[in-house]
Amino acid sequence: MRDAYLVGAGQSDYGAFPEESYRSLFRTAFEAATESVPNGIDGEEIDEAFVGHLGVGGRQLGLSGPAVTEHVGLGGVPCTRVENACAASGFAVRQAVQAVKSGMADVVLAGGFEVMSDTSSDATKYWLGVSGETEWERLSGTTFSGVYAQMASVHMERYGTTREQLSRVAVKNHANGAKNPHAQLGFECSLEDAESAPVVADPLNLYHCCPTSDGAACALIVSEDVVEKYTSDPIRIAGVGAGSDNVGLFQRDTYTGVPASQRAGEQAYEMAGVEPDDLDFAEVHDCFAIAELLAYEDLGFCERGEAGDLIESGETELGGGLPVNTSGGLKSKGHPIGATGAGQIVEAFKQLSGKAGDRQVENPTRGLTHNVGGSGGAAVVHVFEKVQEVSA
Amino acid sequence: MTDTTDPTDGDAERERVSVPSKVELPRLLDFYELQTEDQTQIHEFYDNLRDGRLTTTQCCDCDEIHFPPRIVCPECTGDDLEYVDLPDEGELFAFSEVRDGLPLGLSEHDVPYVVAVVDLGPVRLSGWIDNAAYSDLEIGDAVSLKIVEIDGPTDEERVFYRFEPADGDAK
Repeated sequence: MRDAYLVGAGQSDYGAFPEESYRSLFRTAFEAATESVPNGIDGEEIDEAFVGHLGVGGRQLGLSGPAVTEHVGLGGVPCTRVENACAASGFAVRQAVQAVKSGMADVVLAGGFEVMSDTSSDATKYWLGVSGETEWERLSGTTFSGVYAQMASVHMERYGTTREQLSRVAVKNHANGAKNPHAQLGFECSLEDAESAPVVADPLNLYHCCPTSDGAACALIVSEDVVEKYTSDPIRIAGVGAGSDNVGLFQRDTYTGVPASQRAGEQAYEMAGVEPDDLDFAEVHDCFAIAELLAYEDLGFCERGEAGDLIESGETELGGGLPVNTSGGLKSKGHPIGATGAGQIVEAFKQLSGKAGDRQVENPTRGLTHNVGGSGGAAVVHVFEKVQEVSA
Repeated sequence: MTDTTDPTDGDAERERVSVPSKVELPRLLDFYELQTEDQTQIHEFYDNLRDGRLTTTQCCDCDEIHFPPRIVCPECTGDDLEYVDLPDEGELFAFSEVRDGLPLGLSEHDVPYVVAVVDLGPVRLSGWIDNAAYSDLEIGDAVSLKIVEIDGPTDEERVFYRFEPADGDAK
């Protein structure tokens, strides 16, 4: 199969924007993506589109994909909405890669969007809850934060992971997000702030939970046959992996890991022919602080049970051996469900293009993105690699 | 173009239209399922629960025990299933105390409350833990079954399972 390349990516600001609609947010992201393509791109060159979207607030629009692509002048281009909860647009990118690799398309748009601020807080949480096990988990009063809190309870009991280590995830990601102009919560927080916040679901407090957000993100994926037209510094999508699992936590065998993430990571590393040690940075799915720690272990950044030590060592901070969530992550940058996976790829693109500003990792050649749906019902991992010459 | 009847003329009386003052929420937003035979194919689970028994399905072909109860076995796809009793006591496998972040269907007066995954042996299930606080609990603690009756929003008599710490006095 031929190779797929990332030639552009861009996003809207993440936050609460009453004056914006899902279409206007998508347009902002689309324009940022097309403008980021080094040699430029015309909308007419796009063969196909995949758009991730959950539908918070009852916005379960049929055809919400074509509704946004039409808005940016892509009327007529085949467009498919991809729904995999918080992993919707990570999977949209995977679809784009498949379309390119299969030979069906040469230039594909993959993006996502979500508007979450235009409905009440309890209604928003209802729509987050539908990404869990709607019947039997919710019937027991389990909230979305409550699911991850239960995973945290087991990790703490088994491996001695501490609340302070959870808080250090927030401190790190806020420090990074403060350097990202698109971040929703772009301010630094102290360890004391992150430890003294009100409890949401024990042992998780407010600083262990990401916000709800409005936002959109887009990426442009092209084939090796056309990549030279768009850039002389191609970024190859070296590895793709994905997995699924029981949607309800209670139906899984392990709570100290996310099997779908592990499977997705192993597949992506194998396809790319790399190991975790070969990565220069990673964007992982930190919807809750415990989720980032689980990702360290599921993706092989450390041994099982050692994620608490890894965050404490500073290794995953900017300037450490493997900076994680340089964008600020879901915690600080924000989490507009359908946009999140594509938004992680925006950060990978910026880092590998040397355009990450104050949060730039020094001369990176390889990065990973990791996007999870629900509490692990679906997961997708991509490995991106800067290449010197295209192997056409 | 000029026209003698300008529709934006401020002097003309505009017709008023209205929308419903209340919108009925969809069934989906009812926190619990409807439990009768005409509403669910797992009504036997609820019938048994109403009789004081927590049960689930077991596959007669491959012996797999499921939770939640199924109408098709996810292991062997057989549909010859029977209801079997589950233990009344189990252990906390994971737990949390919910203080905030409530979705529609739950209200502030419910918090704080403890939710857990309870290991009953043959299966694990999510459950509300009554009469308990996070700081008093540890993974592995014994909990026992408690059945509650549900008020509203339907007239139907509905029940659901919860758990509470077994301690010494529950026996």
